Amino acid sequence: MTADATRIRSLDDPTLFVDTPATIYDAVPPYPPRSEREAEFYHLRDGELLINLGPQHPSTHGVLRVVLKIDGERVVDLDPVLGYLHRGVEKICENGDWHHAISNCDPLEYVASMFSEAMPVLACEKLLDLEVPRRAEYIRVLAWELNRIASHALFVGWLALDLGGLTPILYSFIERDEIVEMLAALTGQRLLFNYLRIGGVNGDLNHEFMSRLGDWMSHAAEQLDNNQKLLNENEIFVRRTKGLGTLDRETALRLCMTGPPLRATGIPYDVRRAHPYSVYPELEFRIPTREEGDSYARYQLHLDEARESIHIIDQVLHQMPDGPVMAQIPRLIRPRPGRAWIAIESPRGQYGCFAISDGSDQPFRLRIRDPSYFNLQAVGVLTPGNLIADTMAIMASLDPIMGGIDK
Amino acid sequence: MAMRDARREPPDRDRQPGATDSQHGQQVEAERDRNATLPAERDRAPERIQMASDQPSHPEGALQAASPSDVAEPIVVENTLWTAASPNAYGGNQPASITHLRELDVEDKSDNARWSGALEIIPTKADYVLDLIRANSLWPLLSGLACCAIEMMSAATSRNDMDRFGMFPFRASPRQADVLIVAGTLTTKMAGPLVRLWEQMPEPKWCVAMGDCTCSGGRYKRSYAVVEGIDRIMPVDVYVPGCPPRPEGLIYGMLKLQQLIIERRGHWPDRQVGPSVPAGV
Repeated sequence: MTADATRIRSLDDPTLFVDTPATIYDAVPPYPPRSEREAEFYHLRDGELLINLGPQHPSTHGVLRVVLKIDGERVVDLDPVLGYLHRGVEKICENGDWHHAISNCDPLEYVASMFSEAMPVLACEKLLDLEVPRRAEYIRVLAWELNRIASHALFVGWLALDLGGLTPILYSFIERDEIVEMLAALTGQRLLFNYLRIGGVNGDLNHEFMSRLGDWMSHAAEQLDNNQKLLNENEIFVRRTKGLGTLDRETALRLCMTGPPLRATGIPYDVRRAHPYSVYPELEFRIPTREEGDSYARYQLHLDEARESIHIIDQVLHQMPDGPVMAQIPRLIRPRPGRAWIAIESPRGQYGCFAISDGSDQPFRLRIRDPSYFNLQAVGVLTPGNLIADTMAIMASLDPIMGGIDK
Repeated sequence: MAMRDARREPPDRDRQPGATDSQHGQQVEAERDRNATLPAERDRAPERIQMASDQPSHPEGALQAASPSDVAEPIVVENTLWTAASPNAYGGNQPASITHLRELDVEDKSDNARWSGALEIIPTKADYVLDLIRANSLWPLLSGLACCAIEMMSAATSRNDMDRFGMFPFRASPRQADVLIVAGTLTTKMAGPLVRLWEQMPEPKWCVAMGDCTCSGGRYKRSYAVVEGIDRIMPVDVYVPGCPPRPEGLIYGMLKLQQLIIERRGHWPDRQVGPSVPAGV
């Protein structure tokens, strides 16, 4: 170590103090390179500089840390550092029974937690070969699509916020809070609903939910169009997102991307249509796609999907059957030993779960496949060569949620 | 620059406007002599004249540097509204209740910063006034860790609008923030950066723990990767439990923080400052 080295606290371990050159201590890890890739990344050529984006940064949508290697204002390379929100959800799920896993999986995708809490529910139902009452299935679809619209509304606001516009997020939160208050009337919670149960849902639709839903449905499409006008005709927004972060189909498929970033490249892959589940085969909806694959196309696609979701909710309300909302199941659930894979379409793509049961009342293993993790990989492909400020536009248009990425 | 001790010696109102400059000059000379007899004053070097940087060749336009004794003098506001009931009010060491406050018929009021009438001298501590200002203009740090961050943003936007209570401008930089709202699960890997954020904030600062995870570990208390409550690594002023708390809950917590700041008014220097990580953590 040279004489100008400074004693600082390690970013990774608060108990660890390391001697590091003070000028670059922010970005360089306090250990020797562990791979060829790391050695190459942390070897700086002339004029290159390492800067830290995160873990505390308003544009990283949580606690993602990205080490950017920049040359002037251009990003040369980047190295994402994950794990700042690793809460050990999968391990906790193994220690509780199947019912506990529902509330433990809730905060994985915390913007749309109706989808992440469905993981242990659907996996356990598949292991049990359980028939869920049709009314419960319709209520689930209703809750999922409402939550999808709330999530997409936030996406639009965040994208604009990361580009420097404060106003759209104020309108996004109007819509999101309306939906979330509606779901709170149904489930009792605004954010982490804990509503789905193995064999059905927690409660039937109540009067307050239905009246709020009716109010909202009367102006939902109109409100969506109004919010859209804020950005669609905004020249700054269009010029900063059009042609930026263009993703081609082969790269998207190679990176296992799903959801809106994949559909924005023109591949109409939607789990609701490709591997139908619940009552989606009985509903009419189209899979919106875009051909461009850039940030603007991803933004447009989110708006199209929100419109389709309103269409689905309309059908669900007209076709909703009467009947019970819970199947007759014992309180203590012991699925047969075996494995099950289920996948649903979350606002961010294919949300999957691979569950192993050993015949006890606890899941032996619950592996969550979160789409944000795979979509985030595209940042490494799309960002190099762009400006630092465009990194935010690309990252926000991929819409990662760190709760699911780090688990 | 000779200044009177305004507490002991009120401004001389009887002086004739036509008093000559020589009289005034003699008085100043006398004061200077009196000061010069003090040993501390004798040892001090004569006041140095500093030149204004844009007027190097004009010594008469030069600025005079303030000496440390000038800074310690009270702020004197010219009284144009009232006369004291007793001419010896300030010179005679009488309590404030029999002077100007009796004149204005407000005997129940004490002579402190809450009094908003015209005063000749405002005897207060800067911390008393500054804490009032701080309490009504809290600038939180925009640092969301997990789920609670969404509700924190909801509290700041249209429906709940924390701006009404004087705590809106969410700053993205810790160097501009007063309040650290820790919103979301704190993991062991994030603990180091979070402490660094806290230590980067300038010193009048408060911490609000939002959500069960930050209060006690919450639903992840048994996880191997989660810090069981942020009070293990930093001081906390207000705990807002809930998983997550509603935005109204956060606003209530912030109002409690305002109340706490006002109640502890002037006691800021008593609080523990410096590195917040206890030894052995």
